[in-house]
Amino acid sequence: MSETVTIYLDDRAIEAPKGMNLVDACKLHGVDIPVFCYHPKMEPVGMCRMCLIELGFEQRDRTTGEVVLGEDGKPLVRWFPTLQTACTQVVSEGMHVRTTTEAVRRGRKDIIEFILTSHPLDCPVCDKGGECPLQELTMDFGPGKSRFLYDEKIHLAKRYPLGEQIYLDRERCIQCARCIRYVEEITDDPVLQFYERGRRLQIISTSEPGFDSKFSGNTTDICPVGALTTADFRFGARPWELDSAASICTHCPVGCNLTLNTRLDRDAGGRVIIKRVMPRQNEQVNEIWICDKGRFGHHFTAAPDRITTPLVRKGGKLVEATWSEALELVAGMLKSAGKAVGALAGPTLSNEDLWALRRLVEGQRGARLGVWPPTMTGGDLIAEVGVAQGTNFTDMGKGACIVVVASDLEEEAPIYWHRVKVAADRGATLVVVNGRATKLDRYTRHRVRYHYGDEVATLNGLLRQALGDAAPDIDGFDQLRAALENAPAVDAAAAQAIAGATDLVVIVGGEGLSMAAHGALMQAAANLLVATGHVGRPNNGLLAVWPGANTQGALDMGFTPEDATHIIDNAASFEALIIAGADPADEDPRAAAALQEAGFIVATALFLTPTAELADVVLPRMSFAERDGTFTNGERRVQRFCKAIDRVGESRADWQIFQQVGAALGQGRAMPTPGVVMAQIVERVPWYAGMDYPTLAEVAPQFPMVGGEDLYYGGTMYKNAGGLGRQWAVAAEQASYQARVRVPKAPAAPKPGKGELIVVPVRLLYDQGTEFYKTQLVHRRVPQAYVALNAGDAARLSVREGARVRVRLAGTEVEVAARVRASVPEGVALLPLNLGVGPLPHAASVGTVAVAEAVGA
Amino acid sequence: MGRGAPHPKMKAGRDVAHIILRDLDIPDIWKFDVYVENGGYEGLKKAVTLTPDEVIEVVKASGLRGRGGAGFPTGVKWSFIPKDAETTYVAVNADESEPGTFKDRQIMEGNPHQLIEGALICAYAIRARAVYIYCRGEFWDLTHALDARIEEARAAGFIGENILGSGWSCEVYTHLGAGAYICGEESALLNSLQGLLGQPRVRPPFPAQKGGGLYYEPTVVNNVETLTNVPWIMVNGADAYRQFGTEQSPGVKVFCVSGHVNRPGNYELPLGTTFRELIYEHAGGILDDKGLKGVLTAGASAPILPGSAEVLDTPLTYEDVQKVGSSLGSASVIVLDEDTDMVWAALKMVRFFKHESCGKCTPCREGTFWMERVLSRIHRGEATEGDIDLLDEVAAQIKGKCLCALGEFALNPAAATIAHFRDDYARRVSGVPESTAELETQAPIEAPVAAGD
Repeated sequence: MSETVTIYLDDRAIEAPKGMNLVDACKLHGVDIPVFCYHPKMEPVGMCRMCLIELGFEQRDRTTGEVVLGEDGKPLVRWFPTLQTACTQVVSEGMHVRTTTEAVRRGRKDIIEFILTSHPLDCPVCDKGGECPLQELTMDFGPGKSRFLYDEKIHLAKRYPLGEQIYLDRERCIQCARCIRYVEEITDDPVLQFYERGRRLQIISTSEPGFDSKFSGNTTDICPVGALTTADFRFGARPWELDSAASICTHCPVGCNLTLNTRLDRDAGGRVIIKRVMPRQNEQVNEIWICDKGRFGHHFTAAPDRITTPLVRKGGKLVEATWSEALELVAGMLKSAGKAVGALAGPTLSNEDLWALRRLVEGQRGARLGVWPPTMTGGDLIAEVGVAQGTNFTDMGKGACIVVVASDLEEEAPIYWHRVKVAADRGATLVVVNGRATKLDRYTRHRVRYHYGDEVATLNGLLRQALGDAAPDIDGFDQLRAALENAPAVDAAAAQAIAGATDLVVIVGGEGLSMAAHGALMQAAANLLVATGHVGRPNNGLLAVWPGANTQGALDMGFTPEDATHIIDNAASFEALIIAGADPADEDPRAAAALQEAGFIVATALFLTPTAELADVVLPRMSFAERDGTFTNGERRVQRFCKAIDRVGESRADWQIFQQVGAALGQGRAMPTPGVVMAQIVERVPWYAGMDYPTLAEVAPQFPMVGGEDLYYGGTMYKNAGGLGRQWAVAAEQASYQARVRVPKAPAAPKPGKGELIVVPVRLLYDQGTEFYKTQLVHRRVPQAYVALNAGDAARLSVREGARVRVRLAGTEVEVAARVRASVPEGVALLPLNLGVGPLPHAASVGTVAVAEAVGA
Repeated sequence: MGRGAPHPKMKAGRDVAHIILRDLDIPDIWKFDVYVENGGYEGLKKAVTLTPDEVIEVVKASGLRGRGGAGFPTGVKWSFIPKDAETTYVAVNADESEPGTFKDRQIMEGNPHQLIEGALICAYAIRARAVYIYCRGEFWDLTHALDARIEEARAAGFIGENILGSGWSCEVYTHLGAGAYICGEESALLNSLQGLLGQPRVRPPFPAQKGGGLYYEPTVVNNVETLTNVPWIMVNGADAYRQFGTEQSPGVKVFCVSGHVNRPGNYELPLGTTFRELIYEHAGGILDDKGLKGVLTAGASAPILPGSAEVLDTPLTYEDVQKVGSSLGSASVIVLDEDTDMVWAALKMVRFFKHESCGKCTPCREGTFWMERVLSRIHRGEATEGDIDLLDEVAAQIKGKCLCALGEFALNPAAATIAHFRDDYARRVSGVPESTAELETQAPIEAPVAAGD
């Protein structure tokens, strides 16, 4: 425990961590000092003046430094003559605080009355009504009646779009600046500003598009009044009409904890639908934040084009069928396929789904279990040297070093980016290793650039420089040392930062990498950690930016990207393929053709995707919101998500489907609940030992204490009652662990010839992903398909900004618009994935960019 | 605004020689050559022969206090700069924006080199390598002229590298504000200099501390007049400066006199001069020989004082003005004659504060707005007796809760006029006595200011 000081809170001695904000210290001891502008995630500004208290300090003798005692033997306290703001104080020894005196009560009443003078009294129609800190504190401290004449109120715009996603009600705004401070201090998107002054002081957006931040929705949570609302939820429901269910975001591997708010909805034909998605506090995972993709990207669950019944192919066409008809057909085909059965599992299959699928395939003695997409690998290395239990970015500051390799973290896993950036603000050293500039570069001096294809060599070089002459006694080190001899000198300062770190986390993405290249990079990253001794301890180890929300779970359940690649490469040898929640035909240029070669295909899907269109049987699967299950996030935290809405049509959960097929094949009785499936997983997967559903649902006190009935601090409106999950331990944490390094085997780097470029497919947060793109609200943020070039290359190729160009790479050709950007390295073309021009390879390759011939020319 | 002519009867044995307003004694002293011929930059030359700490000791010993309004001892302020600070700055507050204050303008127009010299001495004393002169936006022409003066001083080797062979280097820059009263508040001034919104900062850290100053480095922020005293003190010594004024308020002060007087203008006089002497001797008495109703001592910021004999005989010092219930502030003395309607006067001032409140903290933002609404109602004759008490309560409700001094000052016009001139309010409650069309044409309700419906 860190050092504490004694302060006197309402004449009661309490201990508080030295340097803690006074408001927080009081809250920890059960005393709520009312606040509007103060928020423990941000620096105090002392603006709203709501947290007024009486403050005094024990008098000390100037010469001796001793506390001066009064006649009664108690220390003499010198009180400030006026009330002071608690939020601008940090606790110090001998501080005296009074929060219940008449002066304090009066001060609070005065401030509330001031705030309410021009605040509209539209609580009955306000989105925040019922969960509004201002409403709450008015009830607690405000005067019953305003002395301000209603007719004299200032009137300002009620419906001002800061962007198309966030609306501002300028009358409700109390100028606490939480939103401005959040985007300035925390996410570094300084797109909100104050404009004007005095009573006309108001928030404006200075960006185009308006409020250009990937985290804009978080401001609506921390807004202590109803001034900021999302276009998604604005006037959508009253808070007390909403039910809430604990859930987990499915858009990326961070595994942000969510609360899904649902309600019976007239506009949805009287069905229960998701009305709002909010962050659910988990200080280990997402704190109290989520990105806008997670917040707004839920509409696919209620999309009208969901598949609602099983479909079977009859006369070349998919036609509706009953479940028994479809399951019987599937069971029959699997039976006749015998061992020649394989499975591809998509990114949002739960652990239970995966387990049931594995049992089904193995029950038929099939051996190929593929995880889709097969772009990244190295699950074995995660199991060996993944970030240790208890790793928390919030605990990283001075002394910690975070290396980010081959990832545009903000686009791929926004909350990792958010937390890494804030760790850097706290003093953690950041080393950004990438082939191009990304936003993370702003927070470090250590920007290590490589040529695409040299990723492994670059990490090897950093390791060689970091080690110097040191020769750790590690299995495989001699061979590695020999291999490192040829590694290039990269960046001495970055290597020194790594060598000097007390804690080291390496975050590995997959930008531009083939699966094999990614495997080698993971090995190089593991070597860096192992050889410098940064494994097996909290805040140390390897973290992969997996392509899917439950890629880690799929790896844990025995699915591999290697098998997925094998299945695509040898599709013709499979008499039956089960493609669960995956869409290879839309994501991999080879897959569409390969799947034609396969025998019988059964797909579980939400929508009639290109892959489903190829299938012989399509089974409607439930979305994450319709069922229970667990996902395992990138940090190997197994987290539960709960049913929030009724199933759409006749859809079933994947785990049910696979068990029902299994039962039809005589594999044994279907398990009744996902919790029972989990019990089976726990028995068979040692990493998951002890992780039954009740354990995963356990909660513990968190700081800051948000989401309670008291609406204190604000930030998210619900307490996390759904569980904090459990992180499984890696091998390096075990006493039996034998450290070892291996020589990474990187494939040759692409070598462009004359007139050629290296075309690098990149991931964007806002893309046309089947599920995400069902949210209309985000369409304006999804760019038209483009390729980005350096100005020099563009000039050489006579490509101008906005020109239509044809991009060829690895046997694929697409026509997109050109962007000329200084941030793109010379000789490289960045080609974003998933922007609606059909499947693209995910690995960088040699290619060309040429101006498209005009039609008819 | 007329210039105050030098008055023959200066106290403490001084006949003509001004310390600050030397342009009244020496024609064209704004010119570099004339300034140097008349002892200009001798103070800086002397300063660099001393150690920085010795310079601070001289200023401390002189008892010079901040002339911007707060009256904080200047040498003490300089001594707060940490000795081990690597980067320090001097920020000169030339945002002269208190109603009725026009002394800094005259200094910068008439005797600019003395300000530059004073700022450089301060920079030397705190080992600063840059001085920023923050001028209010309306001073644009004056600021361009000041830039030319700075170039002259640089050409002569008083600004730049290795000044006077001392090994110390310093640059001087001017910066124009954009027209906000709040930017005269030192921490808002620093924000504005940094290109941020002109809003005050939470203190501590204070400007002199790491984290509190310009670019968050230790910074001395001094008023124009304050620094203009410094060269004289360096040349003549602290004791010579202490011949003027009182023990607690040593030296001379430029008093800006305006309002209902025959000779409004700037008067440089020893501190301790009485209101009576200032108003009736120097400023030539009240217009049309009317009676005196009230005096504002520090523009709109300090509580108005009634025109009583007790007030008139009060010496203009930091301590004495405080004793009679106001403060000396920047010594912008606005004289109001017996016919002045104090409700009208209060409304003008409250409207000013409402307009200039930065909006950062609740009591000032909402309180000034509320006071203006109630006072307008009273002024229009639409109020009840209870509204006078309400106004008084709202003023009291602001007190002691604001983030910076602006809010705390903003309640004074209403509170002090009610305290001293309640009859003027009572008359308004029973109807509108006279035409006050000028103020009434202002719309009471503000329209939305930005797009959106």
